[in-house]
Amino acid sequence: MSASGSLWLIPALPLVGAGVNLFIGKRLGRSAGIFAAVLVAASFAVSVAVAGSLIGLSAQDRVQTQELFEWIRVGAFSVGATLRLDPLSATMILVVTGIGTLIHIYSIGYMRDDPRYGRFFAYMNLFVFFMLMLVLGQNLLVLYLGWEGVGLCSYLLIGFWFEKTENANAAKKAFVTTRIGDTAMLIGLALIAVKFGTLDYTVIFGAAGSTLTKSAATAIALLLFAGAVGKSAQVPLHVWLPDAMAGPTPVSALIHAATMVTAGVYLVLRMHVIFEISGVALTVVAIVGVATMLFAGTCAFGQDDIKRVLAYSTISQLGFMFLAAGLKAYSIALFMLVAHAFYKALMFLGAGSVMHGMHDHTDMKQMGGLLRKMPVTGVTFIVGALALAGVYPLSGFFAKDEILEVASNSGHELLFVLGVLGALISALYIGRLVFLTFFGRARSEEAEHAHESPAIMTIPLVLLALGAAGASLLDLTIHGALSTFVEPVVGPTPEGAAGLSYAAIVAISSLMVAIGLFATWFVYGSGKIDWLALRVRMQPAQRVLEHGWYVDNYYSALLVTPGKAVAAWLAYVFDARIIDGIVNGIGAGVRALARSGRRLQTGLVRTYALAFLAGAIGLLVYVGFRL
Amino acid sequence: MSTPISYFLVLSSILFAIGSVGVLTRKNALIIFMSVELQLNAVNLTLVAFSRMHNSLNGQVLAFFSMVVAAAEVVVGLAIIVSVYRRIRSVNVDDAEALRG
Amino acid sequence: MQADLILFWVFAPISVASAIAMLVMRNAVHSALFLIVNFFCLALFYLILGATFLFAVQIIVYAGAIMVLFLFVIMLLGVDGREDLRERRLIAQRPVAIALGVAFVLEVTFAIRASIGFSALAPAGFDKVNEGGNAQALAKVLFSKYFFPFEVTSILLIIAAIAAMILAQRKSHAVTQAEMEAHNAAMEPVAPEPVA
Repeated sequence: MSASGSLWLIPALPLVGAGVNLFIGKRLGRSAGIFAAVLVAASFAVSVAVAGSLIGLSAQDRVQTQELFEWIRVGAFSVGATLRLDPLSATMILVVTGIGTLIHIYSIGYMRDDPRYGRFFAYMNLFVFFMLMLVLGQNLLVLYLGWEGVGLCSYLLIGFWFEKTENANAAKKAFVTTRIGDTAMLIGLALIAVKFGTLDYTVIFGAAGSTLTKSAATAIALLLFAGAVGKSAQVPLHVWLPDAMAGPTPVSALIHAATMVTAGVYLVLRMHVIFEISGVALTVVAIVGVATMLFAGTCAFGQDDIKRVLAYSTISQLGFMFLAAGLKAYSIALFMLVAHAFYKALMFLGAGSVMHGMHDHTDMKQMGGLLRKMPVTGVTFIVGALALAGVYPLSGFFAKDEILEVASNSGHELLFVLGVLGALISALYIGRLVFLTFFGRARSEEAEHAHESPAIMTIPLVLLALGAAGASLLDLTIHGALSTFVEPVVGPTPEGAAGLSYAAIVAISSLMVAIGLFATWFVYGSGKIDWLALRVRMQPAQRVLEHGWYVDNYYSALLVTPGKAVAAWLAYVFDARIIDGIVNGIGAGVRALARSGRRLQTGLVRTYALAFLAGAIGLLVYVGFRL
Repeated sequence: MSTPISYFLVLSSILFAIGSVGVLTRKNALIIFMSVELQLNAVNLTLVAFSRMHNSLNGQVLAFFSMVVAAAEVVVGLAIIVSVYRRIRSVNVDDAEALRG
Repeated sequence: MQADLILFWVFAPISVASAIAMLVMRNAVHSALFLIVNFFCLALFYLILGATFLFAVQIIVYAGAIMVLFLFVIMLLGVDGREDLRERRLIAQRPVAIALGVAFVLEVTFAIRASIGFSALAPAGFDKVNEGGNAQALAKVLFSKYFFPFEVTSILLIIAAIAAMILAQRKSHAVTQAEMEAHNAAMEPVAPEPVA
């Protein structure tokens, strides 16, 4: 069975699951979840087989495509429903299906009591399908199909408990915000289609150098990046992700940590050829990345809701990935993507487990000492936290340090300094989270009586923890295995000797991490400082961070309120009065016309006779004069 | 015959005009009908005058047929007036305005 | 002065006067009688113009049959009462009608002036057309050249007779006073409802 011949199975299996669960999910009852998880697991198995088949091949052979059917044909423009297997997409499908399987298993337990159990799994499977289409596409239109599809599923899943208005609003906010980016991206797609006459990767990558001018490439790249900014919740389109935590926790884990938000990074990696032709675009990517990293990091530090900390953390980590991409370190960005997928999904599921024990409370001020009550959750969570902070030998360590090395080598010292600062901030917020939640004394009733979650939830946690730890194997033992694997697609990591040595970088970043973790332990974990009083004194500053530097409020005042005013005007004035006025006016006009025409119909024979005669005589006169 | 033909023609046009005024002005259906008969007769006069002018009998034949048809028309018309009268109990044409819009 | 000219100038005013009289009479029977006078004048004109057959037919059919029928109906419907000649509803009707009539006459006058002229006499030779008598000549033309219209008109007459019989049939029950009043009330002019 050739690898490319069975590519279609990978997205098809979850699609089948989605269809079945949508239509007969209610009847399946409890087995809907198992059915969905099994299908994703099967997809994972096929992905493993397919990806594995690539390893032995030479660099040229590592790109394989499978065309399923011709999707669109308009004149000379043709788009096929074609799937592409190459190291980059292989990595992505492994992440999506692998972590997806674990999250599906976790959800079987987490969503157990939900009345819409079957539909949840239908949406999850549908999401997996769209995400796979996104990464497996051989052309930009299949990618866009997946792009929009995951946006849809995100909306459906964030607003899963739509009975609460705020959940529905969060879903709407997510959809509308990403739509802004999507529209720009669509324009970028159109530009590509105009310039290249096709949307196919192979053609584009081959002809990019000769077809695009620097300004055209910049335009296209920035438009595509705008889509990535929306999907990956970078500044300024980041506002939807913290609110998206209103959805069920497995949704947050799968979509808003491991997969959908990484689509932006994937896009930049995939289209890096165009980004490189325009140098400006890469600089923009790096700047946006580093700015987001710092901004979101500070916000994460000020949150009390455990899920919101993780949400801002995701935004910050994605910024870090974009920084790497902007520095042309694509394989490192990909490695960080994989590592982050593991530890962030782990921490989200862990947070879900914590919430489960805390009766769905998320306020960290009311937690404390949970490590004793929920040991498995606690330990796995801490593993993930350490991976995020970048402690040796966990995966985050290698990702972070390699990015810092590239930054230092690039000659842009500022980026390096800011990257180090980012590492410090990451350690700070994640340390705060861990110490507040799992250490110290229980600060509320629920925390007193918390208990560990059932096995169906804790086993995925353990597996993910192992993955978070072991992802470093990809980089450590077989040095640069991932880099070598994807090199044919993304090119080599840029070398440079301008910066500090690797050892120096490691020392600096480890120092930062240590400072951060120690400081948070001291304040929150050791009990020596009354952090509640400290918090009250720092109230204004804390408020600013908690509200995300009030960006949401600025948007609301600048965009939402005027938008609503315009909408209200359009609805109540323009539509109700002007348009209805025109329509009613036409009706009234016809009626007036009819009323005046009615007066001709007197019903009296004599008027008709008069008209007769007048007409006849007039005609006679006319004819008479003519002759 | 020493009467110019035009005299007959003018006379018949006068009679026709009188008939038209009668159709338009009177309200009694029967009088209106009689005015119509007057118009028809005026036309018959014109036909016969032209027949004389052209030295052929075509005009007279046409006038003959006109009379026949007028006779049939009177029969039917009066029957209609009678049945309408039975409906609205009046021969005033202004009372038959059910088609008023 | 020829006899026909004298006759014309005597009877032409009579015919016009009787026509006008028919127009202005309030009593319908009087109107009908004046119309009969008018028909007699017209018959005389036919005679002057050499249409002797039509002269006879005019008196027999028009004056003798058609007007009698009219008088029957007038008597039947009992409309020999006085009719109100005032115009209340269509005020413009009368002046416009008179204007149109005048316009018509003027127009015909102009047409005559432009074509044959006022003093054109009838050409001679009509006697040859009336060879064997007007009735015989007419018959010769009627039954040869105009045979088909002749047959058609005979059918027409039959149809007219049948139609009249059917139209004038009485309904099975007489309309009662109550029904009539209800009917009249229903026939009142209804003001159009304002459309909401």
